Formats: sequence, C-alpha cells, structure tokens
Amino acid sequence: MLEMGQSEIEHSITGYSPPFVEVFTMSVRNFASVAAGSELAGISSALLLSRIPLVTPDLHPFEAAYYNYQNELKRRLMWTFPKYYYFRKGTVAEREFVQAQKYPLFKRPGVWFPRGVPDLKHGRDRRFKEEVTLPKQQERADEDDELSKPVVFNSRVTAADEAGDLTSLERRLSRTLYLLIKTKGAWKFPSFPLVEPKPLHEAAEQGLREIGSVNMNTWTVSNTPTAVLKYSNGKLLDAETQEKEVEREYFIKSHIIGGDFQISSSDVEEFRWLTKEEVEQTVEPQYYGQLGHLLSTV
Amino acid sequence: MLSNVRTSIIRQVDYLTSGTQLHFIRTKRKKAGSDKSEVRKLVTQLSVLSANRKQPKLLKFSNEDYVKHQVIQKSWNLYVRDKKAEEANILQKQYESIRAANEDLQSVSKELFSFANTREPSKRFPLELRVPTEYPPNQIWHHDYTPKVEKKK
Repeated sequence: MLEMGQSEIEHSITGYSPPFVEVFTMSVRNFASVAAGSELAGISSALLLSRIPLVTPDLHPFEAAYYNYQNELKRRLMWTFPKYYYFRKGTVAEREFVQAQKYPLFKRPGVWFPRGVPDLKHGRDRRFKEEVTLPKQQERADEDDELSKPVVFNSRVTAADEAGDLTSLERRLSRTLYLLIKTKGAWKFPSFPLVEPKPLHEAAEQGLREIGSVNMNTWTVSNTPTAVLKYSNGKLLDAETQEKEVEREYFIKSHIIGGDFQISSSDVEEFRWLTKEEVEQTVEPQYYGQLGHLLSTV
Repeated sequence: MLSNVRTSIIRQVDYLTSGTQLHFIRTKRKKAGSDKSEVRKLVTQLSVLSANRKQPKLLKFSNEDYVKHQVIQKSWNLYVRDKKAEEANILQKQYESIRAANEDLQSVSKELFSFANTREPSKRFPLELRVPTEYPPNQIWHHDYTPKVEKKK
C-alpha cells in the first residue's frame, strides 16, 4: 500500500512528500482497484482544457498598418461610383445623394491649385480616391425605429479584464485560455490517475467533473493522447529519457463549451484560466518546455 | 429632364361655396428628348458606357515612393514567411509529440492504445462552439449549464 501511495505522490513535480497517514488515505482513494504489478499503475490522464477565442485575433501593429495601406491603394484604383446606374435622374433619392456628396474642386483658368490641376470625370477627381458618402437616414424622433438606430458594438475588453480576474472565462476574449490548477503548491494542468482500464479521454473528462463541477459542457478533441510526460520519483524527466521505471502522464485535448469550473475537491487549492504566455510564467520552466508547443499562440 | 416629362397644368379654381379645389387638365403630349439633338444623346450615352471616363489615373510613383512601396511589400513577405515557418514548426512539434505519446502508450498498455486509436465515426463538431466575431455577443459566456439527464428506458 505504501509503495502505491508513493507512486501517486510522484506525480507532483515538487517532490513534496506528505506524512505516512496521508499517504495511506490517498492510496486508498486513488489506487483502490489497481494492483501493484498492473500495467495501469503509474499511468495518469491529464487534460488540456481550453476555451477557444470568442473574438477575432488582435492585429499586430504591422498587420494593421499593411492592411490600411492596401485598402487605401484599392480605393485609389477603384473605378468611379456609377451614380447614374443606381439613381434615376430627377428622383428624390438622386437629389439626396447628390446633396450628400462633397464634390472636388474643378479646373478654372488662372487659378493656382496647390495639390495640382484637378482632373474631373463624372464628378470625381481621377488623381485621388473617391469618397462616396451615403445620405443620412432621416431621423424620426416620434417613431422608435430599430433599423435607423446607430449600431453600438460591445467592447472587446470585458469587465473581467479590467478587474484582472484570472478565474473568469470572460477574460482575454481574443485568446485561447487554458485551465491550470494548483495542487500541493504547484501549478499544472489537471491530471488524474487511471484507476481502471478505461479510455484516457474518458478518465480525464470524468476526473475533471470530480474536481470541478458537473455543470460543465466540454468537447474532447480526440481520444488519442497528444503528449506524454514521464516522471521518476516525482521529478519530471526529459522527453528522450531511457528509464524504464517511470510514471506517465498522457495529455488529452478538450474544449469547454459552456458552464464554469468550480472547485469541488479539497485537492485543488486554486484554478486559473490563462493564455499561453501566462501559463509560461506560472508553471515550472521544465514542465512548460515539454508542453509549450501544444498551446495556441492565438 | 423635366422637359421630357409629360406636363400637366394645375389650375386653381375658387368656389365660393366649397373653398379651394385642384383641377388637373390634360395637355398635348410632348415627345421624350425632343429638345436634344441625336448626336448629343449619343455622346451622353457613350460617356456613361465608356470605361475610360470611369477609370482613375494610373499610379505614378516617384522614385522615393516606389522604394517605399517595395520596402513595405518586402517586409510584409518576410513577416508572412516567418509566421508560416513558425506555424509549420509548431505543427511539426505537435505531430512528433502525438507520435511519441502513442508509441509510448503502445509499449505500456496495448489495451489503452487500442482505446485511444478507435475510430469515432459518429463524432461531430459541437454546434454550441461559436465562430469568433469582431465584437463579443451580449451574453459572452453561458455560465448556467446543466447536463441533460438521460432518460431511462
């Protein structure tokens, strides 16, 4: 029993060893049905639970500048807006459209133009981009018209961002967030020892509901593990280790769709929803070194 | 334009008894465009059709502007190239990682390996996952989720 209990503790990368009594109770709880010689001993299933971005990614300043430049070029090279195609002459719509336009200066003899001599065709200076302004809808104060109201967008920066709430799923909407939990003083992805021969992804999803809450909707990406970490006596080993007697942690990817993670196990001290960069700052460097490529940069 | 429209005269007639009334009186019909010569009409139509009049002037970059444009394009190409290389590198690492995990799992437990590699033909992408939009929805996250209770048959 004592040996099995230790193997459980070895999952902790801190190497923290609790007193004997605690070891005994933990071994009963976690390895109840796993025999010492079983191939399941020392295997656990970890979960990379992510919240996918809810808004489009933030543009890099260079991207934003380049898109603006291309847009201006496109508008400069666009053909003149065919007013006569869309507005029949003599109609009210045409009148309103014509009144809404700002027409460029036209060429006059004996006048000096600082930006060069205008080259007007169809009321557009062909040297510059054309700016078409749509006539404003008449605002009717007496009618509550839903269509003519100006559209107000929700902010991409939420209340959780402003409050700095790391446990909220409503923070950093443009980034993928990952669930990190703190157990025995160490931050890591949730990991659950395998107690019976069942698929790794099912073990991970079931374990998540035991430490979190049942009121969570998740979607497992695949039943195939995406990475493996190997530990020996609680210490994380290199990926290319040749050691035989190791404990293994297989990682399963999953997305959270609805509901909240609420701590419902005394093993979990804290939890956070973090982006890739924040995960890097929170977990051990060696741990991140072996898992960093699994986390999304968007 | 107005000359093309068939004109009508509105005559006001005052009646002592019933106040003001409007009377519409038909006049002789005028032929559309009768005041324009055929040549002028053709010129107007052609100017509307003609691509030349609708096209902007060609871009004429000065030497300095042209160099600027080239620098912008080159730096964008480099930016995209680096980004793609980085993505390919991450994908390669993820592939290696999956491969290593599965080979390791196979050597450890045949049973778990077969579980992990069973096909899931009925698996579907969840409809509840939102496609990212430019701005967040009014209700950002559905916090009050409760799992469906399966009915016993």
